[in-house]
Amino acid sequence: MSDLDKAIAQLRACRPIPEIQVRELCYKARELLIEEGNVVTVDAPVTICGDIHGQFHDLMELFRVGGDVPDTNYLFMGDFVDRGFYSLESFLLLLCLKVRYPDRITLIRGNHESRQITTVYGFYDECLRKYGSANVWRYCCEVFDYLALGALVIGAATELEPTDAPFADPSHATTVSEGDEVEVELLNSAGHIVTRHVRDRYIGQSSQLSNPPSSPSQTREQTPSRNGAPGTGATGSSHGSSGNGGGAVLCVHGGLSPLIDSIDKIRLLDRKQEVPHEGAMCDLLWSDPDEIEGWGLSPRGAGFLFGADIVKCFNHKNDLSLICRAHQLVMEGFKEMFQNTIVTVWSAPNYCYRCGNIAAILELGEDGSNAGYAPRSNGDVERSHGASNGVLTERMDKLKGPGRRYRVFEAAPQDSRGMPAKKPVADYFL
Amino acid sequence: MSNLLRQSLNGAPPPPRPRPLPLSSSALSDLDEHSSSDSSTSSVDSSASVNTLRPSSREQSAPPGHWTNYFSQELYLDQEDERQKARYHVYLTPPTDVQKGPLFICHHGAGASGLSFAVFAKHICQRLPGAGILSLEARAHGSTVTDIETGNQITDFSLATLTSDALAMITLTQHHLSWPTLPPSILIGHSLGGAIATQLAVDYALGHALLGYTVIDVVEGSALEALAHMKTYLSSRPTTFNTVDEAITWHTRTRTIRHAESAHVSVPSLLIQQPTSGGKFTWRTDLAATSPWWEEWFHGMSAKFLAGRGAKELILAGTDRLDRELMIGQMQGKFQLVVIPEAGHFVQEDVPERVAGLLVEFFKRNDRSALVLPPKVSELLARGEKV
Repeated sequence: MSDLDKAIAQLRACRPIPEIQVRELCYKARELLIEEGNVVTVDAPVTICGDIHGQFHDLMELFRVGGDVPDTNYLFMGDFVDRGFYSLESFLLLLCLKVRYPDRITLIRGNHESRQITTVYGFYDECLRKYGSANVWRYCCEVFDYLALGALVIGAATELEPTDAPFADPSHATTVSEGDEVEVELLNSAGHIVTRHVRDRYIGQSSQLSNPPSSPSQTREQTPSRNGAPGTGATGSSHGSSGNGGGAVLCVHGGLSPLIDSIDKIRLLDRKQEVPHEGAMCDLLWSDPDEIEGWGLSPRGAGFLFGADIVKCFNHKNDLSLICRAHQLVMEGFKEMFQNTIVTVWSAPNYCYRCGNIAAILELGEDGSNAGYAPRSNGDVERSHGASNGVLTERMDKLKGPGRRYRVFEAAPQDSRGMPAKKPVADYFL
Repeated sequence: MSNLLRQSLNGAPPPPRPRPLPLSSSALSDLDEHSSSDSSTSSVDSSASVNTLRPSSREQSAPPGHWTNYFSQELYLDQEDERQKARYHVYLTPPTDVQKGPLFICHHGAGASGLSFAVFAKHICQRLPGAGILSLEARAHGSTVTDIETGNQITDFSLATLTSDALAMITLTQHHLSWPTLPPSILIGHSLGGAIATQLAVDYALGHALLGYTVIDVVEGSALEALAHMKTYLSSRPTTFNTVDEAITWHTRTRTIRHAESAHVSVPSLLIQQPTSGGKFTWRTDLAATSPWWEEWFHGMSAKFLAGRGAKELILAGTDRLDRELMIGQMQGKFQLVVIPEAGHFVQEDVPERVAGLLVEFFKRNDRSALVLPPKVSELLARGEKV
């Protein structure tokens, strides 16, 4: 058993590794990360995860639900640390896994992967408490500076292979008829299907379609599919290795920036620094989508708000079918917006041990994974429930989105060991 | 504080009203001049710099810690109706340009005073020349509201009453200075003041003039949780001080206020000299009398904070004590959260420069006149540009 495997085993037991090992680990991680571009290319299949925030036991639950590394290919969209009580163990475990299985796990930077933020929201104090010095915090912060800013998932299938599992509630069971493409599945932590949505085939009609709650879908048939290298904005029809009908999926912690109109512009940033207070790099880690037109001021004090028009325009220009981001707490674990052009994935259940939300991860399948699949044909698809989507006209072509399998899970039973004593209450507050 | 001043303080006669600072006789005459001119405001010089010691017509300038070093004027604003007679007291540095603003409107917490924002005000004006600051004083905290028949002070500290007092002070100030409209404003409330600022924002009381609001170190959940400890805390406070200096020392030694200059300017205004008990100083505000309203002040505050119109900022001291509602709101990006670990509860007094910096940033970010957002896609298309 190598030292690294020992460290992984120790961290899995939620025990910190010695400072000297952290130093070595961080050094190796940096060597690895420095080779990555600002936007890492990741091949599907991949499981995309949102904020973790030091909730170690919930991270273990995530691995239980989503499969272990290296069996499952993971992409974590940042915010590993702060707020939870085990930022250190969570981040170091992910980092160990990254060093051990560099091709099976991708880590990108969140707004909490910063010196300034971690000083205030817990990670710094935790390192100090667990090691008696700030050295480990310093090593980790150096790694933060090298984390990629985004990832581009290519080769994701446009349809899911239907999960062969019972429905959690049999009355909601939908069956797949021949020729139907399963676009979205929602599975609970037991692996049972909660809902399944089949891609609408009545495409091109600008009629109002009703959709299941988890996923309003209104896609348009792709006329000769335009597949340059996804994400590059190339318009050639060089049907590359990822020549499916869909576009690539951009993963980024926060969202878009008014200074970034193409993925190549992200690639040009100098990322090896503390997260700045403004500018493109800051926006990528801080912005939020919102029901507005154009850009808006972010109430967070950093980054921007951006509307559906911005997303659709960006996706169109960059041959993206979907933007996947984290950064915002979603009570249901995930939320698709703007006609499925952007999704928020949140992976910290019962955030901060008090918010009562559930968590989600998003699985994107590999193109061709359903080869040889013979769909059963019985019955129509149930699409009667759910709210309708108001936007009817779509100016721009939209790429067929990838098939999306969401697995939701709740907080793991909390082990109270290592929890700091109850916070002192304010003695004066009037 | 100089020895000379300390000596003079001990021998000072009881001031006519709770003064910010008991003063030596020479300083007192200086003060008299200010207060008289201020009450009438006939000679108000709105361009007066508050960054420097205010030059006196006499040889002696105001002593350090005197309010004139921080605000250009104080106002007594009278309002009377059939039930009550109010004499509101506020400190003010008007903005140079009323159209442009900004005006930072501050409300202190329970048991504090308008001078809680004095040093903060100084730093605001240094960083943003031309900005205005209006620091309100609640009833029994510098303002007095008396029953028209009995002449006694009215004991009503409900949030609605305190909020309408605050609004009255803002409106009266506007009329007093003949501002055609309220300048673009930012509300800042500390503790109880935070509840009041939030209420004003939710009520849309300042209308379009309100750019945003900042609440300092109060969160509904943790405040309500801490209520039980509050009475113990109050009973553990000394009830009297022999001198003002002793009170200042108490505040700094217990780290209630962690900034010497702030303590020197704000603490004197918290005290009142009792002619009966040998000239000892007692707390001006009877906090225990406000206790029936404590829960009401903070109840529902988190929801209101998130619901109000305008930009929102929450500044917290020490570890963050967000309740569930605000934790969700923060993680959904609905407001700006700033945690200042090195500060105590009186954040604006402990780190006045830092808080001033934050507020100037907050204003600049939300300044509508300067706001330029990137164009909308539809506008670009309309202009025939390729997107």
